[in-house]
Amino acid sequence: MEGNMVTIDNTKRDKAIDLLRSESDSKLVTHLNACVRCGLCADSCMYYLAMKEPKYIPSVKVNMVSSIYRKYCTFEGKIAPALVNAKKLDEEMAAEMVDLLFGACTMCGRCVKHCSIGVDIPFLVKKGREMLATMDLVPETLQSTVDAAVNTGNNMGIPTEEFVDTIKWMEEELTDEMQDERARIPLDEQDKELFYTLNPREPKFFPLSISAMAKIFYAANAEWTLSSKYYDVTNYGYFNANTKEATIIAENLYNEVHRLHGKRLILGECGHGSRANRWEGPNYLKKKYDFDTVTVVELIAEYIRSGKITLDKTLNKEIYTIHDPCNLVRNGGLMDEIRFVVKNAVENLVEMNPYGKDNFCCGGGGGALAMSEYNDRRLKIGKIKADQIAKTGAKVVITPCHNCVDQLTQLNHTYKLGVKIVTISEIVADALVINNK
Amino acid sequence: MDCSGCCALIASGICFLIFLARFIHLVRLGNPKDLSQKSGDTKKAVKYSFTEAMMPKNKESAYLHLPTYIAGILYHIGTFVTLISFVSFIVISFTKISIPYSVSLIVAIILAPAVISGISILIKRIFSKELSLLSGPDDYISNIVTTLAQLLTAIFLLLPEAGDIYFIVMTLFFLWLPFGKTRHLMYFFFARYHLGYFYGWRGTW
Repeated sequence: MEGNMVTIDNTKRDKAIDLLRSESDSKLVTHLNACVRCGLCADSCMYYLAMKEPKYIPSVKVNMVSSIYRKYCTFEGKIAPALVNAKKLDEEMAAEMVDLLFGACTMCGRCVKHCSIGVDIPFLVKKGREMLATMDLVPETLQSTVDAAVNTGNNMGIPTEEFVDTIKWMEEELTDEMQDERARIPLDEQDKELFYTLNPREPKFFPLSISAMAKIFYAANAEWTLSSKYYDVTNYGYFNANTKEATIIAENLYNEVHRLHGKRLILGECGHGSRANRWEGPNYLKKKYDFDTVTVVELIAEYIRSGKITLDKTLNKEIYTIHDPCNLVRNGGLMDEIRFVVKNAVENLVEMNPYGKDNFCCGGGGGALAMSEYNDRRLKIGKIKADQIAKTGAKVVITPCHNCVDQLTQLNHTYKLGVKIVTISEIVADALVINNK
Repeated sequence: MDCSGCCALIASGICFLIFLARFIHLVRLGNPKDLSQKSGDTKKAVKYSFTEAMMPKNKESAYLHLPTYIAGILYHIGTFVTLISFVSFIVISFTKISIPYSVSLIVAIILAPAVISGISILIKRIFSKELSLLSGPDDYISNIVTTLAQLLTAIFLLLPEAGDIYFIVMTLFFLWLPFGKTRHLMYFFFARYHLGYFYGWRGTW
C-alpha cells in the first residue's frame, strides 16, 4: 500500500480518533505523552538497521499516532497544532500509517527495552493499527487470514475432513512407529487433562511436528485431545487489531475447551498465538480463564522436571542455536524455560548474539508473513537474523514458533544458510527415550 | 519581588497545577486491568525498570550512543538544578537570606556542561538527517527554552542584575513545560512504571 492513497469515511475516522481518548487505565495516555523523539531507538529496530531510511525509526511510528492524539485530544494541539507537532488524520496520514504500522513494524518490542524513556512502542503501533482497522484499512491479505479464521475456525481455511484425514494418517504412522495401539492422536475426546492446539501450518505443511508432539504426549502418558473444529492456536485478530474479530477467535477456542471439558489449554508452538491466548485472550473476553493456559514449552519443561519424560541429548549431536520468538521471550517471559528444554535435548548449543530478551525478530512477526505486499521488505530485514544464524556456525536452528519457522525457512533459502529449522517438540521427540514395554 | 519575578512565580504555579492535575488523573486511572494470569513479580520489575534497566550496559540507546547519552544525563541534571534553583530564589526572596557567592559559583559550574550539552543536542537535531525528519517546532522550542533557562539560571547566580531577563525566561519555560515535549518530566516516570509492570506481569523481568 506504499504510496497508495486511501479513502476515509468520516464517521469511522471519528471512531478511530475516539480510541485515543480511551481512559480504561493510565497506560495509553502515558505512552502517548512520553516520547521525546530522541531517535535513539533507531539502532534497535531491524527495519531501520536493514534499510537506513529515517521513516523506519520507531519513534516516527509513535509520532504518527501521538500527533493525531495531540491534534484531537489536547488543548495545546487544538489551539496551536503547528507548535506541538499535532497532525490531522487525513487520507495521506492514513496511507502512511498503513505503510509503516502494518508494513514496517513486527511489534517485536526490541525498541521498547532500549528506549531511553521506556515508551511502549508496539503498544502504540497496535493502537494505530486498531485505528486503521476501525477505518477498514487493514491490508487485504492480512484481513483475509483473519476472515478465514472467523469463518472456518482456522486461519488457513482447512476443511474439517481434510484435517481429520491428516490427523488419522499421522496417528497410524505414530502407532506403527511406537508399535503400540496406545500411541494415538485423540480427536474431540472429552474430559481430557490437556486440550492441545496447533498452528494450522502443521496439518497443512508440517504434519511431522504434530506426530513429534504426539510422541512426547505418549512418552509422558498424557491424557490429551485435539479438537477437529477449533484447534487453531493462532489469532491474527491480534495483528489486524480488530478487537471484535480477535475476541471471536479467542472465544471459539475458549468455548471449545469448555465443550470438551479440557482442564488445561496447551498452546502449540506459535509465538503470537501463545500471546493472543495466554495474555490477551482473557482481556478480549473480559473474564479470567477458568482453566490453565500453558505453552507447550512450559509443558515439556514440566515433563522433564517431573521425570515424566526422559531425554538423551546425545541423540541430537549437531550444533544447535535458538531463535527466540519475540512473543514468547521478550513479551512472554520464557527465555529460561526454552533454554532449560533445549539444553536437556541437545548436546551442543551456541547462542546467537544478541539473544534472549535482546534477540532480533525473525522478521516475520506482526502479521508480516500474511502480508505478501511487504514480502521484499520482510526478506530484506531478515538479513539481520540470517547473519546472526550464520555467525553461530550452527547447523540447526530451534524455534518454538511455526511463524518463525516459516520466515527462517525463507531466510535459509534466500541467504543460502544451509541450516535446518526445527521446532522444540521435534528436537525433544528426537531425544526421547521411550520405554513402551 | 518585582513584576518579572511575579510573572515567573505565577507561571510556575500554573505549571505545577497542570502537572498536579495530570498526576492525579493518571494515578486515578491506575494500572491496566489485566485479566490474564500473572506470571512474574510486578513490584520487583518496576524497581528493576527504574534501576538496572536504566544502566547504560542494558540499553542500546545508551551504550551505542555514549556521547549523546552523557550529554542527555548532564542536560537533565542541569534541568533539575534549574528547577531547584528557581524554588530557592523564590523562597529566598521572601526572606533576608542571601546565597553565598561560593554556592552560586558551584551551581553555575554545574550548569555550564548542561548548557553545552543542550546546545550540542540542538545542533545534532538540526544537522542529523534522521533527527531533522523526526523533529517539529516542539523539539526545537523545548530544547531552546530549557537550555536558555539553564543558561539564565547560571548567569543570574553570578550576576543578580540579570534578574529581569532570568524571570522572563523562566516564565516562558514554565508556560511551555506542561505543553511541549518537556512534559515527559512527569510522563517519563509513568512510562518506566508501565514498562516494569508489563514485563513484570509476564515474567520477563
